[in-house]
Amino acid sequence: MNNSTIWLESNTFHHSQFWDLLRLIKRKEQLGLTISLCIPTLNEEKTIGKEVVLFKSELQDRYPLLDEIAVIDSGSTDDTVEVAAAFGAEVYASADILPEQGFKRGKGENLWKAIYQLKGDIIVYVDADISNIHPRFVYGLVAPLLYRQEVQYVKSFYDRPLALSKEIRPSGGGRVTEILVRPLFSLFFPDLTAIIQPLSGEYAVRRQILEKIPFPVGYGVETAHLIDVYSQYGLEAFAQTDLDRRVHRHQRVMDLGKMSFGILQTVIRRLQAKGMTTDMSSLSSCLRQFQVRENHYEQIIHEIVEEERPPMLQLESYRRKFGRG
Amino acid sequence: MSGQGCDPAWLARLPGLVAELEPYREMLLANVVMVGEIPAPTFGEEQRIDFVKQRFIECGLQSSSSDEVGNGLGIIPGSRGQQTLLLSAHADIPFAAGENHTFSVEPAAIRGPGVADNSLGVAALITLPTILERLGIRLESNLLLMASTRSLEKGNQQGIRFFLENTTLPITTAIALEGTPLGRLHYRSLASLGGIISCHVDRKLSDQSAIEVLNRLISRLGEIPLSRETNTACVLGSISGGATYKLPARTAQLAFQVRSDTDESVAEVNRLIHGIIDELSSGKSVSVQLEVIARTRAGGLPSTHPLVEASRKIMGVIGIQPRHGSYSSTISPYVEQGIPALCLGLSQGENVNYLDEYVEIEPLLSGMAQLIGLLVLLDGGRDE
Repeated sequence: MNNSTIWLESNTFHHSQFWDLLRLIKRKEQLGLTISLCIPTLNEEKTIGKEVVLFKSELQDRYPLLDEIAVIDSGSTDDTVEVAAAFGAEVYASADILPEQGFKRGKGENLWKAIYQLKGDIIVYVDADISNIHPRFVYGLVAPLLYRQEVQYVKSFYDRPLALSKEIRPSGGGRVTEILVRPLFSLFFPDLTAIIQPLSGEYAVRRQILEKIPFPVGYGVETAHLIDVYSQYGLEAFAQTDLDRRVHRHQRVMDLGKMSFGILQTVIRRLQAKGMTTDMSSLSSCLRQFQVRENHYEQIIHEIVEEERPPMLQLESYRRKFGRG
Repeated sequence: MSGQGCDPAWLARLPGLVAELEPYREMLLANVVMVGEIPAPTFGEEQRIDFVKQRFIECGLQSSSSDEVGNGLGIIPGSRGQQTLLLSAHADIPFAAGENHTFSVEPAAIRGPGVADNSLGVAALITLPTILERLGIRLESNLLLMASTRSLEKGNQQGIRFFLENTTLPITTAIALEGTPLGRLHYRSLASLGGIISCHVDRKLSDQSAIEVLNRLISRLGEIPLSRETNTACVLGSISGGATYKLPARTAQLAFQVRSDTDESVAEVNRLIHGIIDELSSGKSVSVQLEVIARTRAGGLPSTHPLVEASRKIMGVIGIQPRHGSYSSTISPYVEQGIPALCLGLSQGENVNYLDEYVEIEPLLSGMAQLIGLLVLLDGGRDE
C-alpha cells in the first residue's frame, strides 16, 4: 500500500464515531485545551441565526466543548451582525482586527485575523451558509485533534449517498475539485489526492500550525493550507471526517471559474517557490469569461490577484500578544 | 388531584419566571430545530422519537423507552411519587419525509414545516427536564413525559390512546402541549367523526363522471338537518378526483368531519350519511364507500373545574390572555379514560400546516412559564 492509501484507511473518520460528547469533553479537560469556533461571514443573515443558536446551545450550554463562538464579518450590508449578536455570538468586524495590517476583502482574511482575535488552542472554521447545520459540523472535526496527538489539521467531507444501488460508486468533491484541484494535486502532490474534498470550508486546526502558515485572502486559502501543511508536516498531519450531507447555495459556473483562477495562482506560486514551475510574474492576473448580450458575445475580464497574508508568527504584535519568542 | 391550593410563594415567583427562563431560550430554539428537521410523518415518527429518547437519557430521566406503537417516554421521578402527571406532545407532523425540513432561525421567528404543529411542543417537552433541574424545581409527583405517535388524520390519536388504555401508572392529570396559539386553554372534547367518502364509476358500464356522483352526494349532505342546540355541524374539508380534463373522472373523494356537543347527534348524522351512500350506490356502475378515519367523544371538564381555574389564574399572573374556545379533539383520548386533561399552546404562529409555517420567538418563554407554573401548582407548589 502506498502512503496515501494507508493514510486514507487510518485517518478518515465518520462523525458518528464521535457521538459520545461526554467522553469528548472529558478528553478535552484532560488535555487542558481550549477550542474556538470561527464563523466567517459576509451577508449571511438567513443562516447565521440558526448556526449560532445550535452551536451555543449544544456545544457550550449542554456540552461545553467550545470556549468561544466568534463571527468574523467582512462588512455585511444585511443584518448578519445584528442577528449573530442577538443570539449570543461574539461578533468582530474583520477591519477592526489588526487595523495596522489594513483590510483586504475575502474569506481568507477573516480566517487569518481569527488567529489573532480568538484565544483557542484549536480553531474550528465553519462556513455560515450551511442550511442543515448540526453540532456534528464542529465535534466531527475537533474529535480527531483531541484523540490523536499527531493530527494537526482536520478537513471535512460530505459523502452521504441518497440512494445506493451498486457496491462501487463515484465519490469526491465538487466541480472545481474534480476538474482543477485533484488533477493539479495528481501532477504535483499525489499524496494530497487522498483528501476527498480539499475545498471544503469546514476544518479544525491547532494554533501552532495556523500561526506558521500564510493565508491567501481569497479563493486559494484551502488549497494553500493543504500544500503548505503537507510540505512542512507530511500527510500524517491531516485527518478527514465525513459529516454526511451539507446543504448550501449552488454556485454558478462563472463563479466557479473565478474560484479556479484564484486557486491556480495559489498553486503556481507554491510550485514556483519549490522550483517546480515557471515564473509567476510573467503570467496575467486577468480572468476572461464570456457572456451574450443581444446576440453579441462579449468578454468579461475579472482582475483576480490572489494576495497572501504572511504567517501570523511573523507579526510582532501577535508574538507579543501570545508570548511567542 | 392534590395541590391545587395556590402556594403564595410560588404565585409570587411566577411573574418573574419568564425572566428566569431567559438563559434557556437558545436551548429551546436549538431543540425546536433539531426536532423539527427530523421528518416525522404520521406512522413514520421513529427517527424523531429516537432523538427524543436520546435527549431523555441525556437528562437522566428514568425508564426512557418506546412502547409498542412507538411513543417516546421518560419519567422524572417525584420526591414522593404518589401521583403521576402526564405531559404529552404529539410527535408527528403532516409533511411527507421527502419534503424539505430545513428550519431557519430569524431574530423574531423560527420557520419550518411542522414547527407550530408540533415540533415546538416536542421541543418544550425535551427542554423541560433541564430547565426544571437548573431552576431547582423538584416535583413531589412523578412527571411522565411522552412524545406520542400516530396522532394526526388517519393516525386518529392511536399513540396516546394505546398508552392510556394500557398503562399501569396512576395518571391523575394530563397536559397536552401544542406549539400554538399561546392562550389556548382546551379542556373539553367535541363528539366528532372524520371520514373519507370515495365514489367510483365502473368505466365498462357507464361514462358518468365520479365528480357528478360526488356532487350529488354533497348536495344531499347539505340537506341533512343539523341540530343547532347541540352545535352539530358537517364540515366539507377537501375533495379530490379525476385524472385529466379530457375524460370523465373514474374516482372522486370527499374528506369531511361531523362534529357536535353530543355523541348522539354525531351518531344520528352518521346514520343519515350511510343512508345517502346506500341510495347513491344502488346501481351496478357506481359504488360509494365511507371510510371512518377519526372519532372523538364528547366530554371533558366543566369550566369551573379546579384544574381549569388554576390554569386561568396562572395565565393571568404571567400576562397571557386566554383565548376563546374550550374544545379540542386532543382531549378526547383522556375523556375516554376519565382523566382530567388540558391542552395548552406555547407561542404565537401562522401558516400552520403549510411549508412556510412559523412561530414567534418572543412569546415562547411566557408559554414555558405558564407550563412550569401549572405543573408546580398541580403538584402543590413545592420548590427546593
